[in-house]
Amino acid sequence: MAVGQVDVLVGLPTLNNAATVVNIAKAIHVSFTRDLPRLRTVIINSDAGSTDGTPELIRDASFEHGDMVQTSHSLRTMHRVVTPYHGIPGKNTALQSLFAAAVLTQAETLVVIDPAGPATTAERVTELITPIWRAEVEFLAPRYRRHPRDGALVTQLVRPLVRAVYGVELDEPLGAEFACSGRFASHCLEQDIWQQDAATFAIDLWLRTEAIAHGLTIGQIWRPPTASAAPTTLRQAVRQILLSLLVALRAHESFWHTASDAVKLPTWGDDRTKCPGAAEWDHVALAVQAQHDISEIRPLLEGVLDPAVLSRLVDEIGATDPRLDDELWVRIVYDFLGASNRGSAGMDHLADMFVPIYMWRAARFMSFTAHEPDDVAQTRLNTLCDAFLRLKPLLVNSWTVEV
Amino acid sequence: MIQQIADALVQSWQNFATAFALFVPRLIAATIIFGVGFLVALIFRRLIHQLLVSLHFDRVTHRIGANEMLRNAGMPAAELLIAKIVFWIVWIGFMLSAVDTLQFAPFQGLVDEFFRFVPRFLVALLVFTLGFLIGNFLWRATLLAAVSAGVPGARLLSGSLRILVIGIGVVMALEQLGLATGVVLTAFAITFGALMLGAAIAFGLGGRDAAKQLLERQFRNSRDRDSDAAPHL
Repeated sequence: MAVGQVDVLVGLPTLNNAATVVNIAKAIHVSFTRDLPRLRTVIINSDAGSTDGTPELIRDASFEHGDMVQTSHSLRTMHRVVTPYHGIPGKNTALQSLFAAAVLTQAETLVVIDPAGPATTAERVTELITPIWRAEVEFLAPRYRRHPRDGALVTQLVRPLVRAVYGVELDEPLGAEFACSGRFASHCLEQDIWQQDAATFAIDLWLRTEAIAHGLTIGQIWRPPTASAAPTTLRQAVRQILLSLLVALRAHESFWHTASDAVKLPTWGDDRTKCPGAAEWDHVALAVQAQHDISEIRPLLEGVLDPAVLSRLVDEIGATDPRLDDELWVRIVYDFLGASNRGSAGMDHLADMFVPIYMWRAARFMSFTAHEPDDVAQTRLNTLCDAFLRLKPLLVNSWTVEV
Repeated sequence: MIQQIADALVQSWQNFATAFALFVPRLIAATIIFGVGFLVALIFRRLIHQLLVSLHFDRVTHRIGANEMLRNAGMPAAELLIAKIVFWIVWIGFMLSAVDTLQFAPFQGLVDEFFRFVPRFLVALLVFTLGFLIGNFLWRATLLAAVSAGVPGARLLSGSLRILVIGIGVVMALEQLGLATGVVLTAFAITFGALMLGAAIAFGLGGRDAAKQLLERQFRNSRDRDSDAAPHL
């Protein structure tokens, strides 16, 4: 189908999302026709090979009947393209296709919608499109209301690290949805990230950090909390996120060495959702497992961690009166990142070594905050972010030091 | 009689003088070779060291765990150790050449033997290094995999594998050097066989119930350990 030039391109990277995709496509359609009738728009579904009929559902969905768009119609041509992509399955391949489509159609605004998003409405879609279309911002990242004890992998590692290293108070460096300018899509297409193996799972983080490092104006937008449909185990998730961080840090080394402070970002949308409760998990069992695993791999940690840091870690693990030592955790993270850059061990091995240490930290945070009020737990998270920022020179030193 | 003694003394003196006259130049030549050899070996040592430093060889050795092992053994860093080995090989070659110049009958042919030995030594060194590298890699990979899978005794398992692989490397290196080949091979075969047999008997007969419980716990742990990432994301 010849689409021609468009103003707004909305991408739906799908893989077996039959349960939600029709409603989302309808929400996008309503957004186009009701809120943005003067814009030339296109929905592109980039499907990774769904076996549940997702592409057919989008292609055959009727947007002319029923209770949806009855009062308004788009004044401009609106297209709907469903395309399977070729190559190695993964979100990076889907996004590459969408970015290429944005460049070909000269779209000024590119929005990528999470096909599993439970609460995607026309209003939410319009909210994502508008700030980019009005050129108020060049990259828009989602922001979720979280319970302070929820998402430890984000709150204990990714968020504080990205804030400290990139100097931007980004809440959700791993979110699935985003909106960006066509210029940024074109820039991303020229980068060599797409061919890297790690891009399969590192692409979301890389996009955000690339936008920061490229000097784009960044904003955040409130989105409804997602039901973290993690298709993986905790070990795999920790490994993937650590590898993603390494990919991003290596790609933007020249930028983050000089970045300082943490700039607040403007936020769009309104926070209509109530803060969800914390997800429950057995942190006591995880602590026992982490303690055992760290003891087992201690000889390997000697090659990664500074001797003083390792000694403190061992003392903490064996302590009868444990503390929540933010500085120790930050030093461990920075030592691991530095070791990866120096090639102290293979990245896969380093990630495997990091898993039990994360489990120890997450379990320790949960046990400390289990009986604390939410605001106290939130204060602890903010203190952790400060610790990452304060100790950043250690990372710069560890990253560049010769063995 | 006195004349004969005098003749003998004169003859001896002449022989000594002739031998001395022949020996002194060889001694001087040997000394020069010795000294020059020392200087050449020193230059080689510095060149090799600088080359390895410029190639960031320390990163490689750090990554494969050789630095740690050398440090524990009280030895210098790997690039310095290699430079020293090169120094001694070059200097020993010159020393033997110097001794050969002196033409002492018992030391005849030492140079030839040395230069036949050097390639074997280098191959043995290579074999040992490979054994060490493979052993360390397997140790690290096995330890991490076993810990991730919740296998009990992960350190014992991985450590045993490391010793086994490095041991095989040592035996192969010694065999290459031709040092007590029969004794080394026999000792290794006996030790290895005894250990394996002992372990098999202990595990298969002595600990059947324990093995059963261990395997059951292992499968149960594996399931438990694969916790969901969702609450963490």
